[in-house]
Amino acid sequence: MENLIVIVILLVIIGCAIAKIAKEKRSGAKCIGCPHTKNGCHCPSKPTKKP
Amino acid sequence: MDQAFQGKRVIKYRQGRENPVGKATHLASAQLNTPYWITGVQTEDEDMQDFLFSLGCYEGQTVTILSALGENFVISVKDARYSIDRDLAEAILV
Amino acid sequence: MKIALTGNPNSGKTTLFNALTGQVEKIGNWSGVTIDKKEAPVRKKWVAGNEEIIAVDLPGAYSMSPFTAEETITRDFVQQENPDVIVNIVDATNLSRSLFFSTQLLELGIPVVVALNKCDLNRKKGISISVEALSYNLGCPIIETIATSKGHNGLKGLLEFAILSKGKSQKAPFDSSEVDISNKEAVEASDKKRYEWVQGIIAEVERRKVTANKQTKQDAVDRVVAHKWLGFPIFALIMWTVFSISQSSVGPFFADTLVGWIDGFYAWVEGLLGGGIAPVLRVILLDGIIGGVGAVVGFLPLIIVLFFLLSLLEDCGYMARVAVVMDKFFKRVGLSGKSIIPMVIGTGCSIPGIMSTRTIKNVRQRRTTAMLTPFMPCGAKLPVIALFAGVFFNEAAWVGTTMYFVGIFLIVTGAFIVVRITGERGSRAYFIMELPEYRFPSIKRAAVESFLQAKAFILKAGTIILLCNATIQLMQTFDWNLNVVADGAQSTSILASLATPFALLLVPLGFGAWQLAAAAITGFIAKENVVGTLAVVYGITNFINTDELALISGGDSVAGIMGLTKVAALSYLMFNLFTPPCFAALGAMNAELENKKWLWGAIGFQFGMGYIVAFLTYQIGTLVTTGALGAGFIPGMIAVLLIGGYITYLMIKGERLAYAKKKALA
Repeated sequence: MENLIVIVILLVIIGCAIAKIAKEKRSGAKCIGCPHTKNGCHCPSKPTKKP
Repeated sequence: MDQAFQGKRVIKYRQGRENPVGKATHLASAQLNTPYWITGVQTEDEDMQDFLFSLGCYEGQTVTILSALGENFVISVKDARYSIDRDLAEAILV
Repeated sequence: MKIALTGNPNSGKTTLFNALTGQVEKIGNWSGVTIDKKEAPVRKKWVAGNEEIIAVDLPGAYSMSPFTAEETITRDFVQQENPDVIVNIVDATNLSRSLFFSTQLLELGIPVVVALNKCDLNRKKGISISVEALSYNLGCPIIETIATSKGHNGLKGLLEFAILSKGKSQKAPFDSSEVDISNKEAVEASDKKRYEWVQGIIAEVERRKVTANKQTKQDAVDRVVAHKWLGFPIFALIMWTVFSISQSSVGPFFADTLVGWIDGFYAWVEGLLGGGIAPVLRVILLDGIIGGVGAVVGFLPLIIVLFFLLSLLEDCGYMARVAVVMDKFFKRVGLSGKSIIPMVIGTGCSIPGIMSTRTIKNVRQRRTTAMLTPFMPCGAKLPVIALFAGVFFNEAAWVGTTMYFVGIFLIVTGAFIVVRITGERGSRAYFIMELPEYRFPSIKRAAVESFLQAKAFILKAGTIILLCNATIQLMQTFDWNLNVVADGAQSTSILASLATPFALLLVPLGFGAWQLAAAAITGFIAKENVVGTLAVVYGITNFINTDELALISGGDSVAGIMGLTKVAALSYLMFNLFTPPCFAALGAMNAELENKKWLWGAIGFQFGMGYIVAFLTYQIGTLVTTGALGAGFIPGMIAVLLIGGYITYLMIKGERLAYAKKKALA
């Protein structure tokens, strides 16, 4: 019985972690948790063309 | 050469001004804290030339060396301070 | 409606953008911080009516003729994306240069509103500007703003005028539309007239107590800080102070308490689980997740302090002077002083550091800097350094400092090598850097930044690191038949069998154990994983002692469990620090290098350097301390010679290329 609880807790923790990563990937962040991520992060999406 | 825009007069474009202590030929050999008229900018890099122009560093404008720090100089052009290296200082003729 | 924020570099555009939109884009007191355009909606509190405004922050530009990538972005955006209003942010302390760009913007036919920013500085400097006269001359509204101020900052007024200006036409006070753009001389002549016109306006509009041509207190400071001989020691001292405070004093002080809590939490969960839970589950939850993530999170205070101090450093205006100080050293290896800035940023996180290389004009210098920036230990590598310094060297401060110096050494060596391989040794690149005013750094801004980084760190720990640790724990617990691995038969686990081939390669470096190889590999996902994986793999969740940071429950036991001598430990540390960075940083590198050859060359170079440094440290160190060479000397030596030989070959090829080019030009 207790084993089951632990398994559920583990699944919840891991599930949350995966969900958070998926959410960030969808909003375009390359580095998870990078604070300057919202808009044209320092993380590369498309390199700009150089003159 | 006067230009009038919207009724305002513009300062005359000065030509042929003498620089203090005629000996200095380029900025690297100029005196500190003395405004000089630029007589020419000779860099081998056209892009750099254009860039300097956009900062206001071209023939006829004033430049002053504020500090000489070994291989680098601190200059003042149009109210702004820049640090330039010796190569660039030698390319700005005064 | 869309408004574009343009203006000279370092005039306050991003600060204004952050204030208007509530975003927290990176700012710094030197030109070249913003390299990309960013968009965000303006906060309701600044807008009087119902208008929805989107603000676009653009990189700084000195003129419409683009010389750098940033100026191209500005020009292209303004000409192609048709913003409704252009907000030209002008540094009030420098009208002479700023208005050049302003007059060009006024010719575009899009309504312009000028934000006369930094007017608080003008009062201090004894400069007064007649806003009415300026507005009359330019033919557009002018609002005084202080973007850094919370209260009276002029933003509301600015937006009111922006909304009012929408849809109106803009008359250009200086009209160059008759000039033939393709005729360079004509353009130049026209621009000269443009400057004259600006000078005329300024004579009317501005009164200065102190002319800019005279030396000021700032120059006196610069003379010390960028001094021929003193400059570098001062810089070294400042960086040492930053690292020392974050890693040896304030950081560890708070980390102690945090680590105590984590330990307590671990014990509490352990108690809760009691004895009835299946050992597999127990081990995954306790050691894999809580222990592994806890081991990393314990270093959070160091990260917070580091980013706080870096933010202060970046805000005060010193960075531009650092570029001046480092210029003469970097010149000798084909770079310029500008390359130091990405590296200093890189001590926080390599990714923004690599991105900031975009402002370096010379392509080779930019790419070289981008690939060398990861050699500076980043925030994620801090836990690794702190762990090893703690476990093997009694928290000695020299460990961390040495790592940074080795990083610098590798950067200089790398630059030296690259410039010869590309055959560009003789090419001349000028150095010019605008020196901004010094200002007292914003404590608030630093606090916000370190808080954001802390949040990011915790988020990273709770997601990526957690998943990695759990996976590693699973792979370590089971063998390929999905049976639980018996005690003592560790090497039959999935993890061991995957990691052992790699471990063989690492024998000459002194750490040919599969556990260490596994930890190093997980480091590519996130460098903090090295700590997490080690914690999981050695089952040492209790190397966290409540009295000291991240340490030793009896120093020997951890060191003993890992089976490393001090020399081998140092070698392993260097290996993790100086081989290619995490995948995210590699991605950033890829974006800046823009060339597959360079990318693989960079990765190869980083890996080669890490391997050689680790090899030399281990072998020479072992020789010195024990009088005998370490294991795997011969195969390791062969590998090192091969790597060294290949690099030398490339350098010679490059020199020949340079010589041939020179002859062709002569």
